[in-house]
Amino acid sequence: MASTPSNVAANSETPAPILVPDRPDAAIAPSAQGTLLISLTTLPPEALEATLTNLALAFPAQSDGLTVLVATPDSSHPAVAGESFSNLRLLPYSAPAPALSNLFLTAADYLNTFKMAQEHQATDCLILGPESQSLTPESIRAMAAAILGTETDLLVPRYDLGPHEGLVNSAILYPISRALYGARPRFPLAIDLGLSLRMAERLATVAQSYTASGQSESILWPVSEAAIANYVIAEVEIGSRQLPQPASIDLNALLAQIAGSLFLDINTKATFWQRVRTIQPKRKLLQQRGPAEGWPDVSPMLTSFRLAYINLQEIWALVLPPNTLLGLKHLSLMPPASFRMSDALWTRIVYDFILAHRLRTINRGHLMGALTPLYLAWVASHIILADAGTPPELHIEELAATFENDKAYLVSRWRWPDRFNP
Amino acid sequence: MWQQVNSALSQSAHRVLFKLASFFPGLVALLVAILLLTLIGFGLAALMRRILVAVKFDERLARNQAAAAISNIQEWSPSHSPTVLVTRFVFWGCAFLGVIIGISAFDAAYSGGTDISVFLLPYLTHSVGAILILLLGNLIARFLSRSVLIGAVNARLQYARFLSHGIKWLVLVLTAAMVLDHLQIGGTVVDLAFGILFGGIVLTLSLAIGLGSRDLVSRSIEKNSDLVGDGPSIVEPPPPGSDSPRPPTPIDTLRHF
Repeated sequence: MASTPSNVAANSETPAPILVPDRPDAAIAPSAQGTLLISLTTLPPEALEATLTNLALAFPAQSDGLTVLVATPDSSHPAVAGESFSNLRLLPYSAPAPALSNLFLTAADYLNTFKMAQEHQATDCLILGPESQSLTPESIRAMAAAILGTETDLLVPRYDLGPHEGLVNSAILYPISRALYGARPRFPLAIDLGLSLRMAERLATVAQSYTASGQSESILWPVSEAAIANYVIAEVEIGSRQLPQPASIDLNALLAQIAGSLFLDINTKATFWQRVRTIQPKRKLLQQRGPAEGWPDVSPMLTSFRLAYINLQEIWALVLPPNTLLGLKHLSLMPPASFRMSDALWTRIVYDFILAHRLRTINRGHLMGALTPLYLAWVASHIILADAGTPPELHIEELAATFENDKAYLVSRWRWPDRFNP
Repeated sequence: MWQQVNSALSQSAHRVLFKLASFFPGLVALLVAILLLTLIGFGLAALMRRILVAVKFDERLARNQAAAAISNIQEWSPSHSPTVLVTRFVFWGCAFLGVIIGISAFDAAYSGGTDISVFLLPYLTHSVGAILILLLGNLIARFLSRSVLIGAVNARLQYARFLSHGIKWLVLVLTAAMVLDHLQIGGTVVDLAFGILFGGIVLTLSLAIGLGSRDLVSRSIEKNSDLVGDGPSIVEPPPPGSDSPRPPTPIDTLRHF
């Protein structure tokens, strides 16, 4: 499992990326000294037991001066109350009620982790998010090895997901994170993270502003925080992992929550990302397994897009320039078999929505609602392309490269939003 | 006879001129009060803008999530930054104060019980409230119309635009009725007309959905339940602990998060 550190020299006058080459020889077993705090989120009893078992297997003996602390909010579990896992030191802590969606790490998770790390003088932290029982001992060891005794401040895992999973990440989060912050991680909103103590402190400081106002469930963006602070970001491949899925919350609300949070973060960090100019080298493409059951039917998504094209034109016209509207018109006329949203068109759409979010061109709730059918059109296009034989990961890399190449458009419109834009 | 006509005309002209002479100072006081307070409001707004820009009010508000609830208010007036919103609030507050002071001065210019003040004053005071109701009603109509349109499109309802227009006109009709009622125009005719119109629209919509569009609605609901997983709705995961989850269908395999 390879780890890839990189960072962005943002504090210099001419920001430029400093890219450290891949390190495929990263040790799997941690041999570094220190105290590693592993922070778990709220888990069901069986999942907690499975996670603790995997942790015990990942760190069979605390040799070489390595101490492993496991902080868990589930203090009532017998495994925590007893001493079933003698090689792990379990630290129960009181956590707020689990988040409604319980899909991502929240501000409260970062704050609790830092408090525990500070209290027990940990040198590094690992936060394992929901469904952490699906992480193998090897994956946990790989993450520990990549953060312990290294210069890495933020360790982001790269999951081996199927081509039909994590689509919001592929369509919006990853390309934006890469283009704007010069950050390489494929999953900027990963639910497992490795943090150095100073990174944990930085995130806790940001988290505190949210928790103090009763917004403990807010999403934080560790990659952009690390990029701003010029901290070292590394990525480690950890194989497959089960990601938590929302039970009944609809896509519109979740997309609005995640994309809205990302757009707000972009707004607050505008002075930084406007100075960053990076083109990331091509990354190694993972061999993705195709869906065994075949690709999903895209016709409902196309119907949704066409319905939106008929009804939402006047709202889109407030946000998108005429050229993009023309592109959407052509898209709405395409037959399903050859339906293809170009990377350039999707890039412009996302950039214009970021700008409209900043300028409050329309109500932000409406703005996010108007993005949903466009996102579904991108998903349909992506699936059709993959079904035709294009590797999905290759398409996503090309999309991210387009976001990078077209960043000047966003910067220009951000600085001069009133300038004529055909 | 001519003398009587002359006398009647001269007395009438005298009365009108006297009323105009007593009317103008009040009107001038009203205008001066509005103008003066508007100018003061303009100055205060400019000063406030300078101060807020100097203390980076927008950025602080964006950073301070405690003010998220407050910042939601500004979304009712799109494209306004919090600074602009505050300065405009100050400006219009002063202008509104000017109107109130002007009306009060206008009222004081009469001894009371005169015909003009009896007829004009209620309209002056009520017209301010009516304008506010009209503006607010338009804002709410536009907001709700867009909300319904976007929500209905994302729910894949074919009649999204019809719903959106229906909501918009319901709110506008309600607003118009409130404005007329506030201005005391039409009396019970407006109440009656509004009751008939509003009730008629609601009854029509109910009948249309209940009878005419019954099949359409049931088809729409069935279609949505069939398409769970690839659209705005998301698949429910299998219940925890179930040993044999149902075999996934192609649609189930799509995961947005």
